[in-house]
Amino acid sequence: MRSLGLGVRSLIRRRLRTALSILGIAVAAALLLDMVLLSGGIEKSFAELVLARGFQIRVTPKGTLPFDTEATIPGAAGVLAGIRADPDVETAGAVLGTPLFGRIPDSLVTLFGYGIEPEAQGVYEVTAGRDLGPADSAGVLLSPAAARLLDARIGDTVTLVGRLDPQALASRPGRRLVARGLVRWVYDARGQASVGTILPVMQRLAGQRGDDRVSVFVVKATSDSGVAGVAARLRERLPRLEVNSVADLVVHFRKRLVYFRQLSYILGSMSLVVTVLLVSTILTIAVGERLGEIATVRAIGVSRATVVKQVLAEGSALTLVGAALGMVLGLVTARYLDAILTSFPGLPAAFSFFVPRTGALLTAAAVLLATGAVAGAYPAWLAARAPVAATLRSEAT
Amino acid sequence: MRDGLCSSVPSEVPWWLIASMSLLLTLCLTLAVQAPARLPGIAVERRLAARLDLSVGDTVRLGPAPDSLRVLATVAAVYEPRPDPAEVPLESRRIRMHLPDLAALLGVPDRVDRFGVALRPGVSPDSAVAVLDRTALGYQAYSSREIASGSSQTFRVVSRFHRAIAVISIVASAIFLLCIMLLKVEERRMDAAVMRFIGVRRRTIFGALVLEAALVAMAGSAAGTLLAVAAGAATNAYYRRFFDTTLTFSVITPGIVTFAVLLSLALGVLAGAVAAARLVRTRPMVLWGRG
Repeated sequence: MRSLGLGVRSLIRRRLRTALSILGIAVAAALLLDMVLLSGGIEKSFAELVLARGFQIRVTPKGTLPFDTEATIPGAAGVLAGIRADPDVETAGAVLGTPLFGRIPDSLVTLFGYGIEPEAQGVYEVTAGRDLGPADSAGVLLSPAAARLLDARIGDTVTLVGRLDPQALASRPGRRLVARGLVRWVYDARGQASVGTILPVMQRLAGQRGDDRVSVFVVKATSDSGVAGVAARLRERLPRLEVNSVADLVVHFRKRLVYFRQLSYILGSMSLVVTVLLVSTILTIAVGERLGEIATVRAIGVSRATVVKQVLAEGSALTLVGAALGMVLGLVTARYLDAILTSFPGLPAAFSFFVPRTGALLTAAAVLLATGAVAGAYPAWLAARAPVAATLRSEAT
Repeated sequence: MRDGLCSSVPSEVPWWLIASMSLLLTLCLTLAVQAPARLPGIAVERRLAARLDLSVGDTVRLGPAPDSLRVLATVAAVYEPRPDPAEVPLESRRIRMHLPDLAALLGVPDRVDRFGVALRPGVSPDSAVAVLDRTALGYQAYSSREIASGSSQTFRVVSRFHRAIAVISIVASAIFLLCIMLLKVEERRMDAAVMRFIGVRRRTIFGALVLEAALVAMAGSAAGTLLAVAAGAATNAYYRRFFDTTLTFSVITPGIVTFAVLLSLALGVLAGAVAAARLVRTRPMVLWGRG
């Protein structure tokens, strides 16, 4: 503590230099924190998104990821019965995603349609009104954007049109449905206009009823520990479909966003290098300026270890204050950077790139403190090996 | 039919000629039945060809779904797709085939995803789009500019992110530079004291220190530029290999170099001037450490 006190006093003596150093370390620390948040945040956010409704497994057409292509799976009822027959499956549901149109007084608007099984769905949360019943073929759920686009409120009737016929220069007859509720579609992009009906209604609208086609099956295992086993059994039973657990999907996703992960490692390393250079330069020059002082305290019996401790304490104090400031700055800049990246077209609105986590904050702080200590090592070594007699003689002349 | 054929043969034709002709005809018909139908040719993307170990002349089986690979096709070409940044991180690979072959494969004859329309000279794309959109339901017309703008949205976001990161990096480097220049000038306390003792004017000392700061900033900028060129080359080499593409990931333009050098110079001179001004205002004895 005494060393720390002496170190702090030494820093206070050079206010401008210390202030600039702290500021430099703070910016570097902010960048480091942002990169730590980015490197782990993407995967965490994605995993949370996929697990939003507790369904741990997705079954999709072979070679595809959920809603990645327009490919669909025929014979949904049979496949679903097979999935539900697994003893470790708590529940499973089918979802069909398809583009469709909504009729407004003088035109049509483009929408995205979900065909869902309300009793086993993993793609929405009701925010107003009520959910569809399992056999509610006259009801529809709207996202706020779709409600705005169709100028519809809960209880209003909307008309959905599945396909348009360019050769007949007309749309096919629409289906009139009553808006039962407003929902947040978990995988929707910001401002996406989506609607949902029970599966058979959407299949008819999309012309997919004949083969009973769906885009994805969502599966909830009875326990998290049983997920791998269920996934393995489903892969074996459904060799022509793609079975992915959340962990598998995270791996696929990680490959796609590898650029951001690598960027976070590179920029994080650069911010550490800047911190090391800054702290070690400041301390080296400070030690150089105080060689006479150091020689004097050594001459009156202060040990080398004490001198080294004081220099290291000075470095740690600089890093500590800079890091604390940097953490606050980093959280602010993370929000700004997240706002930029989440404006990617088509990205689910619930997705985040920078996710503040206690673990990430502690990691960044620990790495910074270790960096400060490393940066102080060289100047401390210089201070320890300063020749006492020669330095005193040179100071005297 | 046999009676008809026989009755049409002139009586003077020798029997062996008739027998030979019949044999030839039978052979031709048999060959025609047994010869394989012409297989559709496909062009395979290089990376897919490498992954599946395909080369020109190989036969592949295609289908609209994994359980319906019924159509045989021949690899007619292996092609290198035009590098597209939007597809770099994706693992999907492509084949190209003639439109009728694809339509037959998918079982959707006379159905397409899009049409490309070349306008006559002088026709405005926007007015053509408006006319086409009014003509029929079921499709949406876009001008090339709209498509380019829409598909470049992702890269605009990435550019904004890069700019924001660059601003943070510039702030960090600026503070670092200010610190270093301050220390550099502070190192000259004794020299400044001696110069003041022997009568050198404050303005001259100030000018010398600022010039020194500018030279240091210039040297640092030159080293930084070389470092950036090396880092850019390393980045390109790494990501080209990583994504197996010919795209350029890092571009160092003269504009970027000019901006970086000017910024470093300005910051270096500013920091040098601030530190030099403090130094020349201090009494020489204080600078000498005896004040």
